[in-house]
Amino acid sequence: MNVVVDDLTKTYGRSRALDGLSFSAGQGVTGLLGPNGAGKTTLIRLLATALASDGGTIRLLGMDPAKEPAAIRRRLGYLPQETGYHRAFTVFEFVDYVAILKEMVDRRARHDEVRRVLAEVGLSDVSHKKIRALSGGMRRRVGIAQALLGEPALVLLDEPTVGLDPEQRLRFRELISRIGEDRTVILSTHQTEDVAALCARVVVLKGGRQAFEGTPAELRALAEGRTWLSDQKAGMLSWRTGDGLFRNLGDAPGGSRLVEPTIEDGYLLLLGGLPEEATR
Amino acid sequence: MNQHTDRPGDTNGDGHTDTSRDMHPDGQAGRRTGWHMDDDLAVAYAEGRLSPTTAASVEAHLLACASCRGLLAPQVSQTRLDRIWVEVVDVVDTPAPGPFERLLRLVGVRHHIARLLAAARSLRLPWLAGASLALFFAALAAGETTRWGVIGFLALAPIVPVLGVGLAFGRGADPAYEIGLVAPYSAFRVMLLRAAAVLITSVVPALVIGVAFLGQTWTVVGWLLPALALTSLSLLLSRWFEPVQAAAGVSALWLTGVVWTNLHAPSLAMFGGAEQLAYLIITVVSGVLLFLGRREFS
Repeated sequence: MNVVVDDLTKTYGRSRALDGLSFSAGQGVTGLLGPNGAGKTTLIRLLATALASDGGTIRLLGMDPAKEPAAIRRRLGYLPQETGYHRAFTVFEFVDYVAILKEMVDRRARHDEVRRVLAEVGLSDVSHKKIRALSGGMRRRVGIAQALLGEPALVLLDEPTVGLDPEQRLRFRELISRIGEDRTVILSTHQTEDVAALCARVVVLKGGRQAFEGTPAELRALAEGRTWLSDQKAGMLSWRTGDGLFRNLGDAPGGSRLVEPTIEDGYLLLLGGLPEEATR
Repeated sequence: MNQHTDRPGDTNGDGHTDTSRDMHPDGQAGRRTGWHMDDDLAVAYAEGRLSPTTAASVEAHLLACASCRGLLAPQVSQTRLDRIWVEVVDVVDTPAPGPFERLLRLVGVRHHIARLLAAARSLRLPWLAGASLALFFAALAAGETTRWGVIGFLALAPIVPVLGVGLAFGRGADPAYEIGLVAPYSAFRVMLLRAAAVLITSVVPALVIGVAFLGQTWTVVGWLLPALALTSLSLLLSRWFEPVQAAAGVSALWLTGVVWTNLHAPSLAMFGGAEQLAYLIITVVSGVLLFLGRREFS
């Protein structure tokens, strides 16, 4: 396992962002799912060695980030949630700048690597454009490109699909699934569709704790027999759908019109307070 | 085959081995140029053993002669072709750097250091122009014989590098700070490189402007040690505070001190001999503490 987290805690003042979190992740895409404030970004920043934990242990690529941060950073790709860009740089210059920070000093080899990652995210044609002239989706691709420099073994992506339109999100999914073929990718998101489309494993965070760890199918299965349609509002969670019926989540009364649940149904049940024995 | 006037070997006067002695005059290009490559010449060219003059002559011939191109093609190793292609692509496809980066490379700064420096906001033209303009007006005012004239220049000149350094790195000044934070390149090194560059780009204009407007008096250099002291102090404080905040705090403290002294003591009391010694001590102590705590910046 390239990422092993055990009993991790992180506190900001009186607020406990992570509270005894444990999980592990191997090759492929692992999704971190949770509402805003669940601790996803704190966890990603801890995994990226940008933060130090208050308690518990982290092993990344077999190393301890407290003892060997530089060795981990050499094999790490990281896209922060709010990535900033030097807007006066061109796309090429910005990625080249990050490549220098990744200790690629030989100019020709570095330029080759910059061209490789720009081709991988489909930005070769705009490499001469200033960053400030790019759309939001293209900037996110620049962010992904810099995260792929040096073929990292571990890639951390914090909310990479926020603010993208459906077509851009589809392109991102293609890209991220390709990246995850031979690497460990940790994808933080609050979009259940991203998890359904991309992830082999999913960890749901709630209040800084792990509420679920398993496959997307297992997450969806939490809502099996607990999702039904009715004319009246019922269940623990309920909302009116486009066809006028209510979609209800919770313990279904006898004779209910049960429907196939989605990952989102399982996720909402978890967040809405699924009985603890149901998550086991 | 030696009878032709424009063959490559004839122009070789630089002492290199001439491998173009035997050539055969047939084919269309041969009629026009009077010679062709033979195997030895093709191999020598392919291996890069010809003198620049001879190689240029061969290249001119190759442009016009398909049969010689055919003779040459199998002699060139794929590895060399790949390397040449990479070099061509790198030259053609790499965007030209901005004016500041070009200037840095012109004065001998290595390309990757130049790019690290060019990313700093206070090493870009708007900041440099603004800082120079402020110093220009301060120096103009210093020419006046009022109580505040010279003091204005002496007070402002040290603040320019301090604020410039504060804007050169850190979360508030560097949009890609988070990416740099987890990169293996030493953040301490980046900070020192940018601080040094800001000092140079601040001190030189201040000295030039000072000399131009104030002449060769001690005033022109009286602010140098305060500038070093305040800059090293604000760098040290950036261990605990945002660099911009540290720089702003140090600058505010300095200005308060200068104004207070000017109102309650002899006008230039902050720039006397003992004070200059104090600035030197602050510089050295801050520098040492900065070095000892360098790991904290990563």
